[in-house]
Amino acid sequence: MSPSTRHEFQSPPSAARRWESAALWLFRIATYVILICGAGVFGNIVVKGSKTVFTSTAPFINVAFFTEAPESLYVFEYQGQKREMGDREFRAFKTTHPEAKDIKAESYVYSAGGIFPCIVGTVLLVLGSMMIALTLGVSAAVYLSEYAKQGRAVTLIRLAILNLAGVPSIVFGLFGLGLFVIYLDWNVSLLAGWFTLAFMVLPVVITASEESLKAVPKGFREGSLALGATKWQTIRKNVLPYALPGILTSSILGIARVAGETAPIMFTAAYVVRDKLPWEGLTSVSDFFFQGVMALPYHIYVVSSKIPQNEYTERVQYGTAFVFLVIVALIATCSIVMRNKLRNRYKW
Amino acid sequence: MDIKSPFTTPASGRSIPVTPAPVGPTLIDIDHVDFFYGASQALHDINLKIEEKKVTAFIGPSGCGKSTLLRCLNRMNDLIDGTRVANGQIKIRGIDIYDRSVDVIELRKRVGMVFQKSNPFPKSIYENITYGLRLQGRSSKSDLDAVVEKSLRGAALWDEVKDRLHTSGLGLSGGQQQRLCIARAIAVEPEVILMDEPCSALDPIATVKVEELIQELRTKFTIVIVTHNMQQAARCSDKTAFFYMGKLIEFADTRAIFMNPANAQTEAYVSGRFG
Amino acid sequence: METPRPTSQSDFLVNKKRIRVFGLSFDDAIKIFFGGNAVVSIIVLALITYFLFQEGIGFFGQNHRNLLTYRQAGLEYVDFIRTQESGHIALTRYLSDLRLRQYNHYIAEQKMSPAAANEALAKFDEFAAQYGDAVEPIRGMVSDLTEQATAIKTKFLIAEDKKTERQQLLVAGKIDEAAAVKIEAVDFAAELHLLTGILPVYKQTSAEFAKKLDAALAVAPKLSTPELMVRLDRFNQLTHDYLATFPATARSLETWDYTRAVPWYQAISAFLFGREWLTASFWQDWYGIVPLLMGSVMVSLVALVIAVPLGVGAAIYINQIASAQEQRIIKPSIEFISAFPSVVLGFFGIAVLGQSLRWLSQQSWLAWVPGFPFSERLNILTAGCLLALIAVPTIFTLAEDALQNVPKAFKEASFALGATRLQTIIKIVVPASLSGIISAVLLGLGRVIGETMVVLLCAGNRIAIPDFTAGLAVVTQPVHTMTGIIAQEMGEVVRGSIHYRALFVVGIVLFFLSLGINFIAQKIVRKYRISIG
Repeated sequence: MSPSTRHEFQSPPSAARRWESAALWLFRIATYVILICGAGVFGNIVVKGSKTVFTSTAPFINVAFFTEAPESLYVFEYQGQKREMGDREFRAFKTTHPEAKDIKAESYVYSAGGIFPCIVGTVLLVLGSMMIALTLGVSAAVYLSEYAKQGRAVTLIRLAILNLAGVPSIVFGLFGLGLFVIYLDWNVSLLAGWFTLAFMVLPVVITASEESLKAVPKGFREGSLALGATKWQTIRKNVLPYALPGILTSSILGIARVAGETAPIMFTAAYVVRDKLPWEGLTSVSDFFFQGVMALPYHIYVVSSKIPQNEYTERVQYGTAFVFLVIVALIATCSIVMRNKLRNRYKW
Repeated sequence: MDIKSPFTTPASGRSIPVTPAPVGPTLIDIDHVDFFYGASQALHDINLKIEEKKVTAFIGPSGCGKSTLLRCLNRMNDLIDGTRVANGQIKIRGIDIYDRSVDVIELRKRVGMVFQKSNPFPKSIYENITYGLRLQGRSSKSDLDAVVEKSLRGAALWDEVKDRLHTSGLGLSGGQQQRLCIARAIAVEPEVILMDEPCSALDPIATVKVEELIQELRTKFTIVIVTHNMQQAARCSDKTAFFYMGKLIEFADTRAIFMNPANAQTEAYVSGRFG
Repeated sequence: METPRPTSQSDFLVNKKRIRVFGLSFDDAIKIFFGGNAVVSIIVLALITYFLFQEGIGFFGQNHRNLLTYRQAGLEYVDFIRTQESGHIALTRYLSDLRLRQYNHYIAEQKMSPAAANEALAKFDEFAAQYGDAVEPIRGMVSDLTEQATAIKTKFLIAEDKKTERQQLLVAGKIDEAAAVKIEAVDFAAELHLLTGILPVYKQTSAEFAKKLDAALAVAPKLSTPELMVRLDRFNQLTHDYLATFPATARSLETWDYTRAVPWYQAISAFLFGREWLTASFWQDWYGIVPLLMGSVMVSLVALVIAVPLGVGAAIYINQIASAQEQRIIKPSIEFISAFPSVVLGFFGIAVLGQSLRWLSQQSWLAWVPGFPFSERLNILTAGCLLALIAVPTIFTLAEDALQNVPKAFKEASFALGATRLQTIIKIVVPASLSGIISAVLLGLGRVIGETMVVLLCAGNRIAIPDFTAGLAVVTQPVHTMTGIIAQEMGEVVRGSIHYRALFVVGIVLFFLSLGINFIAQKIVRKYRISIG
């Protein structure tokens, strides 16, 4: 078989062929450009953020960053040396060094200390809103997939869900402000944030739950009903248990979304700064629900827009972004991996 | 004549006068029933009396309404939107099962069902059988154990699975799964068992086992079986109803249907000329 | 064998066991509970609409009063003359641009020293000074009138405040205290007399102004190149056009009447078509959505221009070309990108992307790109690039779904006829899924236009309609957006004020805009489903 012999099926080297391979390469490049951009953003924040979060000595993690509240950073020159101190440390320093009383220091708000209250606030917001969203969403999905008969009402509900999914998050913020904060007079509070966020992820949870419920074979329902089970018995014993893993994993994606949103909590739940932790200084149980909290995404917004960018502020900016991104990314990865596993496992 | 009927003797095909089987007491009385899926009528004026402790087979080509009628008998059609029995009544022991006072749950406890595609729940064999009993609030272990054994024996499955009662029902073979479904159905002690093409997804050997099982069950239960397999109807049923285009064409003793059909369409179908 | 059950028990079908409360069985109650939860979506959507309107609708009344005060306090009157003044400012800017060009020409082409160049421009400077100074009398007049009109407006607003105060006291039952509130009624006719009385003086000043401009034009020196001369002629023309508007201004002043009613629809049209969003101003607040809308649209357009080729291209690649292994890795990766919180992307834009793009724009080998180099690191382009990253996963996922839905038989038939992969993709697969791809793009647009944090942090937040005369370079200008303005200003406004309500009306616009986009996308998808089935 020498290369010079030509046979009937041999492809003629033609311009069309070159075009084709060029076009296919274009598609490939588009794909990889996306991945590279994503990796670029992720990498940049991880690399720069890890300088704040990790330390070179044991315990290798910047514990203070995770356990302290944010405070102002003071940068000043003392005896020819450049010193950086957090607010409390600086005040203590001034009392111990009377000669430094009138020392001039540049101050950068929020640039020292840590982000503990923000983490706590975000966790609370996510937990509460997901509980509300799961209750409402799973119930709605059960109704839609198990009970509802085709008709006007169901069409309307589906339309509402579809449209709710398209409402911009800032509009949810306005809605939360109008309904919860002002009309119901809950003020800027956890409760207002929970409901605002819960309503925002509701379409995600409903769609995910319905998909999981639909994946449970019809035979399970018919078999159960034919044995004289009531509808509710059938759903509770023979449908929900099999749909639940799917519902939960898909809903984790909703958690990522709840945790990641800033706009809806700006006017409903988030404080720029709050000295007390959510469990401090409560006089009654209801106080817990009616307090505002600090939240990671809002903190990132504040530190990246309200304070200048320089070597002193960069640490807290990148550190916060890193922690936040890693949390959300972990949640999302869990969801994606678990869903793919689940898809393979359940084949009825 | 080359009708492949088990009742055909080589000497004379259809000339043997068929003696009618003795008529038993009527259990289910289907009385002038019209049935609709939305606007389209699926059943036209069906009149049928199903006798107690007999096997009644519904046959006919696909889409003829035989499965629809079967699912009317325990109101499984209620689950489908837009279905209704427009005219007529279906009476079991004289009670109209579509009456408002009837509790469909009670009805289904009495009229069990086995489906075309075997549908064991993804639970253990034991839990599959006891599912219906637990719904009724029976939870005593010895009671349940007894029922499980009795039902599995009744479904001719006991010897095969007695050592692995607590493994998943999904681990059984297709035929075993279907017999498990039958065991599950008889565990709640229904009066009637509806079977919707129970063997259509099974291989011939498994089919034979299920058919043998049906022969045993006929002593205790009234069985209505839908099948597209005419040999099956001929082998295991006492009475056969032939449906075509939503109408009951002929209903008679199985022997009569296969050997001496009164209707030309029935004859064409049972002789394999269409369907 | 025993019989399964005593056959005599014939009442077995009758329901007697189930407990009913208010005629409902337990199962009915459960069903109602689930149904109630399902209805929550409708309720929420209705509540969103209701509360947006509840908080926002008052804006139009307030804006109407705002516009009415603008007229009654004579601000409108003063603005007629101010417009004349600002027209002149635009012309002098043209003139300084002309000087710069001439200067550059001297330096670059004629190799003059800067001093010599300035020397050569002395005559031009004289002309420019004469031209520029001509406006002074008018300018003085405007500033006097501004003070007067502001005084009237302040007086009026104080009187209004007092009225509200009295009203509140009356409502509270404090009649005596209410009577004690002194309201100084504003006699607009008398107050405005001061303003309108200036008309004869204005006419004279304006006529002199026109003469001075003419005189200045007469001494305009020649410029050194034909190209610059063309510009000078153009300037002449512009000045004459400008002068031609004077009579109209005078006429507006003459016919101006503070008692003329402001039609109600102007409160709406001033919002929808208003070209200015100006708040907390000492003079007059304007709530025009156009600059914000333009900002949102421009940013979204840039994002889509980047995201559509990438998203759709990647979808085609993954669905039609990639190996199974590539699919397994790339699909979750792109989904992973969709989980990036927008505020983190916004931060990335501030910290890295803005600066990188600016640096890139200042590279000489990229000078040919329109708009390069630019100096504002936060602009349409920066925000657009980041929004593209947000839109890509949406577009990719939905477009990939659409491609997946194309029946395999179509593809096989095409291959069987000897078509290549590319031909099959272009001629069969893409057309068959086109409506799905279009709706994916639309949903991506909806996602982008509603996105808040990225534009708030990275779009530059300058409230101005982008200058489209710059051509493609428009993308390097900073803008403000609808979402951004709500997020930025809502925290600082007084509840119930016109500004607060204006932000809610922006929210309403945003809400219906996204509903509209969503609706169209769904409509397209539905049509597509029918055509396949």
